[in-house]
Amino acid sequence: MNKMTEGHTVKRFDDEMVFLHRLVLEIGSLAQNQLKRAVQTLNDKDPSAARDVISRDQELNDLDVQADEEFINLIVKRQPMAKDLREIITISKAVSDLERVGDEARKIAQLTIHIYDTDSSPPNKQVLRDINTMAAFVGDMLKSSLIAFDELDAPKALDVIRLDSELEEEYKSALRRLTTFVMEDSRAIGHMVDVVLGLRALERIGGHAKNIAGYVIFLITGSDVRHESVECIEKQII
Amino acid sequence: MNNSTSSRPRSTVERVNANLTKRYAKERRFKRMGLGAIIISLMFLVLLFGSIISNGYGAFWQTYVQLEIHFEPEDLDPQGSRNPEVLSAADYGGLVKSTLRDMFPKVKKRKEKRKLYDLVSSGAAFQLREMVMSNPDLIGSTVQLWVPADDDVDMLIKGHIDRHKPESDRRVKDQQIAWVDALQREGKIEKRFNTTFFTAGDSREPELAGIHGALMGSVFTLLITLALSFPMGVAAAIYLEEFAPTNRFTDFIEVNINNLAAVPSIVFGLLGLAVFINFFGLPRSIPLVGGLVLTLMTLPTIIIASRAALKSVPPSIREAALGIGASRMQTVFHHVLPQALPGMLTGAIIGMAQALGETAPLLMIGMVAFIVDVPANMMDPATALPVQIYLWADSPERAFMERTSAAIMVLLAFLISMNMLAVLLRKKFEKR
Amino acid sequence: MQPNTQTVSSVTPLMVCTDIEPIAAHDNRKTVGEISVDNPRMSCRNVNVFYGEKQAINRVNLDIGRHEVIAMIGPSGCGKSTFLRCLNRMNDTIDSCRVTGEILLDNQNIYDKTLDVVPLRAQVGMVFQKPNPFPKSIYENVAYGPRIHGLSSSKSDLDIIVESSLHRAGLWNEVKDRLDQPGTGLSGGQQQRLCIARTIAVSPEVILMDEPCSALDPIATAKIEELIDELREEYTIAIVTHSMQQAARISQRTAYFHLGDLIEVGETNQIFTNPQHKLTEDYITGRFG
Repeated sequence: MNKMTEGHTVKRFDDEMVFLHRLVLEIGSLAQNQLKRAVQTLNDKDPSAARDVISRDQELNDLDVQADEEFINLIVKRQPMAKDLREIITISKAVSDLERVGDEARKIAQLTIHIYDTDSSPPNKQVLRDINTMAAFVGDMLKSSLIAFDELDAPKALDVIRLDSELEEEYKSALRRLTTFVMEDSRAIGHMVDVVLGLRALERIGGHAKNIAGYVIFLITGSDVRHESVECIEKQII
Repeated sequence: MNNSTSSRPRSTVERVNANLTKRYAKERRFKRMGLGAIIISLMFLVLLFGSIISNGYGAFWQTYVQLEIHFEPEDLDPQGSRNPEVLSAADYGGLVKSTLRDMFPKVKKRKEKRKLYDLVSSGAAFQLREMVMSNPDLIGSTVQLWVPADDDVDMLIKGHIDRHKPESDRRVKDQQIAWVDALQREGKIEKRFNTTFFTAGDSREPELAGIHGALMGSVFTLLITLALSFPMGVAAAIYLEEFAPTNRFTDFIEVNINNLAAVPSIVFGLLGLAVFINFFGLPRSIPLVGGLVLTLMTLPTIIIASRAALKSVPPSIREAALGIGASRMQTVFHHVLPQALPGMLTGAIIGMAQALGETAPLLMIGMVAFIVDVPANMMDPATALPVQIYLWADSPERAFMERTSAAIMVLLAFLISMNMLAVLLRKKFEKR
Repeated sequence: MQPNTQTVSSVTPLMVCTDIEPIAAHDNRKTVGEISVDNPRMSCRNVNVFYGEKQAINRVNLDIGRHEVIAMIGPSGCGKSTFLRCLNRMNDTIDSCRVTGEILLDNQNIYDKTLDVVPLRAQVGMVFQKPNPFPKSIYENVAYGPRIHGLSSSKSDLDIIVESSLHRAGLWNEVKDRLDQPGTGLSGGQQQRLCIARTIAVSPEVILMDEPCSALDPIATAKIEELIDELREEYTIAIVTHSMQQAARISQRTAYFHLGDLIEVGETNQIFTNPQHKLTEDYITGRFG
C-alpha cells in the first residue's frame, strides 16, 4: 500500500499492516458518511433517517473493537519497531478518534430528532445555516486528514492543522450569530441550545481531524506535534 | 473406477514405500560387506597368531638330559688348592664326555664317541664350570644333574625330526636315536621350562640362545628414543601450532616435517651412520646411537600427531583464557596442553611402536652384530628384538625357527604392554 | 590527559565535516547520531580493521560511556563482533588481522606499541557467544584469573574473590555446594553466568559480550539480561546481539553496523522508535534484503 506498510522480509507482516491501514480508511469513510447523512437528515427534516444514522453508529463501534483486537494481535506476533511501531500507534489512536467522530455524528442526528420530532415549531432556517457550512468545513478536514494518512502526506496533514484554527474562528462567529438570534427572539432559546450542541459536535469533529493529522505527522517524522504551534511543526517536516 | 485410481499419480508415501525395500537391501548389503571385511581381517590375524604361537610355543620348553656326574678331584683340581684360576681352566668338557662314556660303555669307536658327545649341548660344560666355581665343595662328590640336550635331540624329542626318512637325510643318526630312546626309557630325558631363553644373550647354539640381550637392547634404545623424541616433538608442535607466525618459513618447515614422516627408515639409518658414527665418532652397535637414529625417525610422527592433538583443542578454550588476560604461554600450559596431552601420548606411542619394530636403520648402524653378552647400559654393544628375529630367521638350524617365533611373541607382548600403558596414561589424563 | 584531548579534537571534525569523501557511494558512511559522550570510558577514532586485503571495519568512530550498556546490532557479517574484539585486542590472535586508528581506554591508546596486552585484557574482559568454561572445577574457573594476575595474597583472599564473583553473577546459591565439580557440568545458562563470574573476578572496567545469550533458552537469557542490568552499576558493558528486543531491553545506547560501517548510533529508545537512517530502520523493522 505504501512504504510504511510494505517491504518486510515476512510477507504476512505486510499483509497484516495493509489490512490495518485499510481498516482505518474504512472506518474513516464510514465516519465521514455518518457525518454527511446526519447533516442531511437535518436539512431534510427527516427524524426517521436520523434514527437510522444513530443505529448505524453501532457498525462503527464494532469496527473499532475489531481494529483494537487486530493491532493487539499484531503487537504480540510481530513486536513492531520504529516506523511499524509508529504506524500501529497512529492507527490505534486514529481509530478511536474516528469512532468519536461517529459519536458526534450521532449527536447531530439526535439534534434532528429533537427539532423535528416534537410538536413545537421548527426553528428559523437561518439558524441552521451555520450547521451546514461548518459540517462542510469539518467534512473536508476529515477527508484531508484521511488522505494525508493514506498517502503519508505531511504538508496535507499540516494544512488540516492550519484549518483547525480557521474552524475555531468559524465556530466562534457562529456562536455570536446565534447569540444575536436569541436576543431577537427569546422564545427560540430551546432550539438554540440544541443548535449550539450541534455546532459543538462539529467543532469536536474538526478537533478529531486535527488529531489524526497530528498522528500522521508523528508517523512520518517520529515527533509528537499535537501540542505545538504550526510554525514549529512546519520546521520539522521540511 | 478402478482404472481411474490406478492411473492417478501415487502418493508420496506409496512411492517412498516402493523404494524402501531397495534402500534397506542396499543398507543390509553394505553392512554385510563391512562385517565380511572385519571377519576376513580377523581370520588373517588369527592365522598369523596361530602360526606364530604354534611354531613358537615349543621354544619355551627345552629338553634336558640327566647325567650322573662325579666331580673327580684328580681331573679338576689335582693339587686341591681350590684356586679359581685352576678351577676355571679345568677340562669340564672332558668330564661330560667321560660321564657319557660311562653311561654307554659299549661305544668304542672314535666316530661313534663323537656322535655320543653330540647328544648333550656344549653348554653343559659351562654349566658344570659355573657350579664348581660357585661351590668348590662339589669337587669329589657325585651329583645327579640335568643338562640341556643338543638342539637336534631337542627337535627329535619335540617330534620335528622325521624318523622314517633315510638316515643320510636327517641330522640325527640311527645310533643317536637309539641312545635317546634308551635314555628316555630310563627317564633320563625330560622337557623343562626354558629359562635360558629369557636370561641368556644370543648364541650359535640354539639351546643356549636367549632373547634377554635383544630385549634389553630394545628397552635401552626405546628409552633413549622416548626421552629425546617426546619432549622435542611436543615442544616443536607447540611452537609451530601456538606461537609461530604463519609465513613462508613455517610453511616450509611444515611441508618438510610431513615429508620426513614419509622418508624410508633406512635413509635415517644411513644418516645416523654418517652423522653419529662417522662424524661424532660414537661406537657402533650401541643402543645410544640406535636410540638417536630412531628419535630422528619418530620425531615427525610425534610432531604431526601432537599438532593434530593441539588443533583439536576447541579454540573457545584459548579464547576464554586469553579473554581474562592469560599470556599465550599460560594459555598453552594451563589449558591447551592438558587437553591435548592424551592425543599427544597416543601419537608418541604410535611412534614408539613403529620404532620398536624398526630393523632397517639399526642394520645400518651395526646393531645387527652377533652379540652374546646382555647389555648392561646404553653404551654396551647390543642388538634389538626385530634384528634378533631377523638374525634367527636367517639361521639354518631347525631349533632357531622355533626361537624366531618365540622372539616374535616376546616382541608382540612388549608392544601390547606398551599400548596398555598408553591407554592407562590416557585414561588418567582424560579424567582430569 | 593533554595529548588525548588533542587527538579527540583533531579527529572529531571528521564526523562533523560531511564532504571529505567526494565519492557518492560514501555518503552512507557518515555515522548518523551522536558518537561521542561526555567523559567516555573508551573512545574509538577512525578504526579500520582488515583481514588480509579485505576491509572488515571502515572508519568507525564511537565512544563508550561509563556505566552504560551499549548494544551493537546489525546483520551477520556487518563487523560488529570484529569491532567488539578490537576493544580488548582479541583480534591479535588472528594473524591476517590488522587494525588501524586508535582506541582509547581511559585516555590510553590500547593499540600503542608499548602497551602490554595482558593487563589490557584484565581491564577489558570478554564473555563469548558459546559458554566456554575451562574443563576444571567451578572454583578453579573463577579463581584462575585472580591467580594468574596475582590479585589475591592468600587462599582465604581467593575464596572471598570467588564467592563475591559468583554472588555478583547470581550463581552462588546454585553452586555453593559443588564448587569442586567441573564447570562443564552446569547447564548452558549457568555456564554462561560462570563465564561472567570468571570475567568479573579480575575486576575489569569494561566487559565485552559477544552474543552471550544466543545459545541459551529464554529463561536463562532473562537471567543474564537481569545480571547485565545489575552489572551496569559497576562496569561498562558493550554487547553484541542479534536480538533487537534484547538490545532494546538492556542497553542505553545502540549502535547499528552495516557492512563494516557504523551507520547509526544513539539512545536506544530513539533508535528503536525513530531511527534516522534508512538502513537502520529497514533492519530493525525486518525489511532487510
